[in-house]
Amino acid sequence: MIRRWFWGLIGCWLACGAAAAQESTFAAVSRQVNQKMVKIFGAGGYRGITAYCTGVLISPEGDILTVYSPTLDSVDLRVHLYDGTRHSAVLVAAEPQLDVALIRIKDREPFKLQPLPHVDLGQLPPPPQVGDWILAFSNSFEIATGDEPVSVQRGVIAAITPFAGRRGIHRAAYQGTAYILDAVTNNPGAQGGLITNRRGEPLALIGKELKNTLTETWVNYAMPLPALASFAAKAMKGEYKPIVREEDKPLPNPGRHGLILVPDVVDRTPPFVESVETGSPAAQAGFQPDDLILFLRAKRPDAVEEEEEQVVTSVKTFREAMNALPPGTAVRCVVRRGSQLLTLEFKLEPAR
Amino acid sequence: MTISPCRTWIGLTLVWSLLTTSLAWGWAWPGADDLEAALERGTKSAAQAAGPSVVQLQTVGGKEFVGSGQMTMQRGRGPTTGLIVSDDGYIITSSFNLAHQPSSITVFITGRNDPLPAKIIAQDQTRMITLLKVEAQGLPVPRWAAKSELKLGQWVLALGRTWSDSPQAPPSISIGIVSALDRIWGKAIQTDAKVSPVNYGGPLIDLDGKVVGLLCPLSQRGEDDVAGAEWYDSGIGFAIPMEDILRVLDQLKAGKNLERGLLGVQFQPTEALDATPTISLVYPHSPAEKAGLQAGDTIIEVDGQPIARTSQLRHRLGPKYAGDTISLKVKRDKEEIAIPQLPLIAPPKYQQMAWLGIAPVRDDPSWEITIRYVFPESPADQAKLEAGDKIVNVEGRPVPGREGLAARIGGAMPGSEIKLGVRRKNGKMETITVKLAAISGAALLADLPPGSAKKALAPRQPPPGMMAPPRPTRPEATKPETAKPVTKGFIETEDPVLGRKTWTYVPENYDPNVSHGLLVWLHPAGDPMQAAMRSIWEPLCQQHHLILHAPLADNPSGWLTSEADLILQDVRGLLQTYTIDRQRIVAHGLGQGGTLALFLGMDAPEVFSGVASVGGVWVQSAKEPRPGQRLFFFLASGGKDPNIEAIRVVKERVSERQYPIWTVDIPDLGTGYLPDADLLRRLVFWIETLDRI
Repeated sequence: MIRRWFWGLIGCWLACGAAAAQESTFAAVSRQVNQKMVKIFGAGGYRGITAYCTGVLISPEGDILTVYSPTLDSVDLRVHLYDGTRHSAVLVAAEPQLDVALIRIKDREPFKLQPLPHVDLGQLPPPPQVGDWILAFSNSFEIATGDEPVSVQRGVIAAITPFAGRRGIHRAAYQGTAYILDAVTNNPGAQGGLITNRRGEPLALIGKELKNTLTETWVNYAMPLPALASFAAKAMKGEYKPIVREEDKPLPNPGRHGLILVPDVVDRTPPFVESVETGSPAAQAGFQPDDLILFLRAKRPDAVEEEEEQVVTSVKTFREAMNALPPGTAVRCVVRRGSQLLTLEFKLEPAR
Repeated sequence: MTISPCRTWIGLTLVWSLLTTSLAWGWAWPGADDLEAALERGTKSAAQAAGPSVVQLQTVGGKEFVGSGQMTMQRGRGPTTGLIVSDDGYIITSSFNLAHQPSSITVFITGRNDPLPAKIIAQDQTRMITLLKVEAQGLPVPRWAAKSELKLGQWVLALGRTWSDSPQAPPSISIGIVSALDRIWGKAIQTDAKVSPVNYGGPLIDLDGKVVGLLCPLSQRGEDDVAGAEWYDSGIGFAIPMEDILRVLDQLKAGKNLERGLLGVQFQPTEALDATPTISLVYPHSPAEKAGLQAGDTIIEVDGQPIARTSQLRHRLGPKYAGDTISLKVKRDKEEIAIPQLPLIAPPKYQQMAWLGIAPVRDDPSWEITIRYVFPESPADQAKLEAGDKIVNVEGRPVPGREGLAARIGGAMPGSEIKLGVRRKNGKMETITVKLAAISGAALLADLPPGSAKKALAPRQPPPGMMAPPRPTRPEATKPETAKPVTKGFIETEDPVLGRKTWTYVPENYDPNVSHGLLVWLHPAGDPMQAAMRSIWEPLCQQHHLILHAPLADNPSGWLTSEADLILQDVRGLLQTYTIDRQRIVAHGLGQGGTLALFLGMDAPEVFSGVASVGGVWVQSAKEPRPGQRLFFFLASGGKDPNIEAIRVVKERVSERQYPIWTVDIPDLGTGYLPDADLLRRLVFWIETLDRI
């Protein structure tokens, strides 16, 4: 339907602008970007995993950047280029932590003579702003095959934000800054599609179908290309090593604060203070029973800066946060006492 | 995600009009680039202008799930959006954002690093808007646009704060057009911008940065605070016009909760919106009653506008608040009666059900109601009514069947007096005045004479002088469409697609001319109790004309509230097959099944008239009773049930709502079923007298 919109739009221009015989900007941009898009076909077709997705050419010899998914784990991975030619491809590198993968056309010989049009990740436009208009190119719902152009949608950068998402109960792999899009782009098969600005300059890679934990609604997001460029460069050279990310794990001996919260009985027990151990860091900081903890910031003993502020939404989130902090950590809490907000600070002691 | 063709056409028309406008301005052919660039610039500057008035709300605590039944949603953990409406700290938001009833609300405002604690001042329950207050001065108030400035098809932006990771970040933007005005019974602007929990509570603004409305989930079907949220991001979004909010802002600031304005009457129930608005019941002591409205009157004009259908009436009354005054014109027989000033009332709160103290004879095609039994010491007993007397009219107007009488009496106030036209056993007509009392939950055990005239399939006779009987609020026993033979005995079903299983027992002596009670058995978690229930209930079903239906939980660990809809489908299916008395449909459960029975009764009181729970606990349902809504409770609890404290809460909650309750405390019982024949006899008797009036 979106495509019909576009063709309708272009038709409009042609109809009333016969004098202006040159091609519309939209059509030109669309044609030029389409040459860099590939349709990927692999494993899947069951349990909600589609057997197709989208990718972007990033080298003249057939290196393709796409979103990592089980679709790519196939012995018979195939890509269709814009001109309808079909090629076998192979998965070169995947970074589950970034949710991206690099695949490569197996037979690179023909492209040495006739280089492929591609996105140059070394020459990206300045990052967009909220409110910028964008175009989204993807083979969502497998509408295009062979030499058909992929589907184009129009939208706006709705927000630029650190990403929080989930599929089912798992957290999203991608944790960097994301562009939230005002267009329903994240459909089956759209992952690996390209977001460009109005002039067709590449901005970001369309992500997966995800629900976000902030609102429990489906989210349309894309991952900025600069965040993926170093992965792509190393993967093309065959030098890529997967990221090992440190997780916030509960410590064997977390620091002691002396706050006793109300019993955790419901899903989201509000973090009210039940009592404060006498002489504890929390008591010295002035905590009182019935204080409601709202936010906390921690500065670990070896850290230079404070960590990002955390919203304490329940007894559980408070416990999880505190169990990951060692003795010596400086903690700053914002608490609500009646209708007042107070900032209370203390330093965690070694556990007794 | 579907996008309708009509959206394409709106889009095309828009592009066309933009083009032709610019052509008319001197035939300059606009580059597509210029056009987009201008709109892009306009978008950003509008968002920038309104942005500082859009605040972020962060809540702590509250429920994990909001809404009820099919519209249950998991509540997100992220922040939501609000809009500053006065520089001294008043903020409005969508009630959706607070539906989880948080313990604390804090507000982040652009330009201030520290959050401010907020308190709830009042709610507009017609438009699901909540007013908050923070202690602050000099806050940025947005400019706003009047409704008259709004044009169909104009560009608008929906702004939200969920994605803002700091108060300094710009609000999120979704672009769309005004798709329609005066939507949802005249209350809302419709837009195709993406409206969702990401921006509920935020403003819908025009390209000048002026606020035109507040983004809210709305639905013409539901009225609770999450209704309409199922349409998020679909291209169907709503905003309450800012003009309408500002009109009532002072009342909200004064702490007044605004409620929907009602006429204080009920109409003949029908699914069809093209029905004629003919009154079936006037609430006692309401302004409508004082103004002289009567059952049978048809509303033909509101505020000078002609009304032909119930939907038009809803459209006229939709935007009104309780306390607003309207003018009305009704048609009574051939006469037109004008009521120049009728104040609207708030949705009525709980009210005790009144009763006469009789059991009527069932399955009687006559429009007169024959008394089967008079309960001792009831109002009917005191007025010397006797079994065999026939009730011919109430206040001089014929009453169609026992449901009509039940609705008429149940909706009256206990203590009020009512005149009955009665044909005594000796054939003499008398007018008898009865002082109604509150119905008692515990029905006295008595030997009742047979209840059925055994003519359930016979056509109903209209009262003399009337063409056909008016539809009663609850049809007499639902009759199967044909009298063809039906399956009797023990019946098991399994849904081939869902794998869902049920079993049903229809007594071998089933007679389609006798209306049957329906007992829906909801087993405790993990134990279907099939053999035990069959051996207890099959003889009772035969003896007392009952059908027993038992769905099995999908999950061995227990029932989910989402299974309620499937159970309601079961009941509808049985109603089409068997002659079932809608006055005696009972949800009956043990343990967690009892909890589901309580939920079903509160959630679908139009289907169930009784809830019999053994050891069930209370779960909040969004629905509340209307006056005249008949719902009876039989609450049994075991003294040794580890859940006894929670089970006792049920009685409090049901009593608060003024439903008649019969409680049975069994000191030696743990988590098991009713242990002896006497208790079962009481339950059977309670079911048998559910149609008492």
